[in-house]
Amino acid sequence: MNKKVQLIELAWARSGDKGDRSDLGIIAKNEENYQILKKEITPAKVKAFFKGIVFGDVQVFTMDNIGAIKVVMDKALGGGATNTLRWDVTGKSMATAILRMEVETDT
Amino acid sequence: MKKITLGAGTGYWGVPIDFPRELVERAQLDYLGIELLAELTMSILQRMKMRNPKLGYIPDLLEFMKVVLPHCVKKGTKIVTNGGGTNPAQAAKEVGKIIKELGLPPMKIGVIEGDDMMDRIDDYLERGNKLANMDTGETDIQVIKDRIVSAHAYIGADRVADALKEGADIVIGGRLSDNALYVGPIMYEFGLSYDNPDDIDKIGAAITTGHIIECGEWVTGGSSNFWETVKEPWNIGMPIAEFFENGEAIITKTPDSGGLLTVNTVKEHLVYETHDPKKYIMPDGVADLTTLKLEEVGKDRIKVSNMTGSKRPEHLKMQIGYHDGYLAELMMLVPWPKAISKAKRYEEIVRERFKKFNIEPLDLRFDMIGVNALHGELSPIPIDENTINEIGFRVAAKLRTKKEAYLVRRFVIGGALCTGPVGTAFNAPNKEREIIALWPTLIPREEVKTTLTMIEGE
Repeated sequence: MNKKVQLIELAWARSGDKGDRSDLGIIAKNEENYQILKKEITPAKVKAFFKGIVFGDVQVFTMDNIGAIKVVMDKALGGGATNTLRWDVTGKSMATAILRMEVETDT
Repeated sequence: MKKITLGAGTGYWGVPIDFPRELVERAQLDYLGIELLAELTMSILQRMKMRNPKLGYIPDLLEFMKVVLPHCVKKGTKIVTNGGGTNPAQAAKEVGKIIKELGLPPMKIGVIEGDDMMDRIDDYLERGNKLANMDTGETDIQVIKDRIVSAHAYIGADRVADALKEGADIVIGGRLSDNALYVGPIMYEFGLSYDNPDDIDKIGAAITTGHIIECGEWVTGGSSNFWETVKEPWNIGMPIAEFFENGEAIITKTPDSGGLLTVNTVKEHLVYETHDPKKYIMPDGVADLTTLKLEEVGKDRIKVSNMTGSKRPEHLKMQIGYHDGYLAELMMLVPWPKAISKAKRYEEIVRERFKKFNIEPLDLRFDMIGVNALHGELSPIPIDENTINEIGFRVAAKLRTKKEAYLVRRFVIGGALCTGPVGTAFNAPNKEREIIALWPTLIPREEVKTTLTMIEGE
């Protein structure tokens, strides 16, 4: 049976920026979790999750060698570190935000 | 097998002085990198230089030099830094004075210039080029042309390697890419060439290794998911890379330091700001971060093998800073009871004050710190607001002119200070400040003419 869990159960994450682009790295806690992340973290799902925060394209890249997923989101930081009105100008907290996302697991 | 040892003394402007000091005191390094620039820094430094032509480098650089130079001289460690900012020549002169003051033997300083493109943009545009914004897709820079503050190309390691070849003990540049501080020494020591196909993977390895250590303690347990197990973060160690002739590296850190260095903390940094991990584009090459392998080979020793890459790009990234209005900002602390309702009341007051003064901000934001300032709309709002002890109410507004920003500080958000609910704690609103926005673009490599000048520091 499929079960929904929050990403924080499966992964660690860290985020940074380049201009108005938010750059997230999601590191699976183990290989099994990595396979779940690969299936569940899609540009469409991430874009829907960050509705009202991210206004540009979302790209997802995989790193099989270290069991990590990269998520790159455009128009995501209110204009970018130097001219955003966000308190968190560089989006360092975006990684912890995505750990709230729910994904489906097989078990 | 030949290896060289490179340490990252800093990874940003603001690193505490004890981090690089303990690194050079305790480790035997061949090279020390002092990385001090972020995306906006060059614009800030350009402003400093415009006010005083003898400024424009990172002021902290001199403080670092005073502390690390005696150790570096004793141990034969060479220093590479981008802390010259917009004025590497002046920074070199100042470092020369420090060498004299400290009574150290004369040293050779390599000064790298030419990354400043401010005076060359007009000529480039006149030849029919557009300098499109690589992030927003805006095609013509003319829309911001008259507001440009600074323009700097991210340059690579070639001049760093040249300087070392000329016998430099210290290399000072401006907008050298962060990892060029490490790629330069590696290319010089192992005789790597951009034109030799056999060297391309090794240059990719140098870029990857440089990336791993370039942000300092960000790879040794700083800003980490594993913060609960990081040993003595107040004594955190700085990262050290041992780079081998075969293109492999071992990452370690300041001996007897705090922090944490594991396969997982290296992973944390491999995913940090690297965008497409198959194509991590740097001026010296394009690293592929998806082939490498990580292995713990000892305590605080992580081996990185099978690093690869491809040829350096034809274009360099150029960061153009331009004036983009003013920011007015206010924060107040709102206590229990009904803290959320109170914050909403303040929002209403500020919105009405904007209307009354007939000012339309370019952008306006309200945050409830403690509730939704970081995760925004993803933050669940507590159902019973009386479970909240206090909230930071923050308003930030972007305005077109300095005058508007002044009016907003004094009368719009200033007018909310004493007109709202009971119990709020506040200070005067922050002084309005100029906003410098960035216009990232690409420029053909051959347009960026870098120079190397060797000077004697004594």
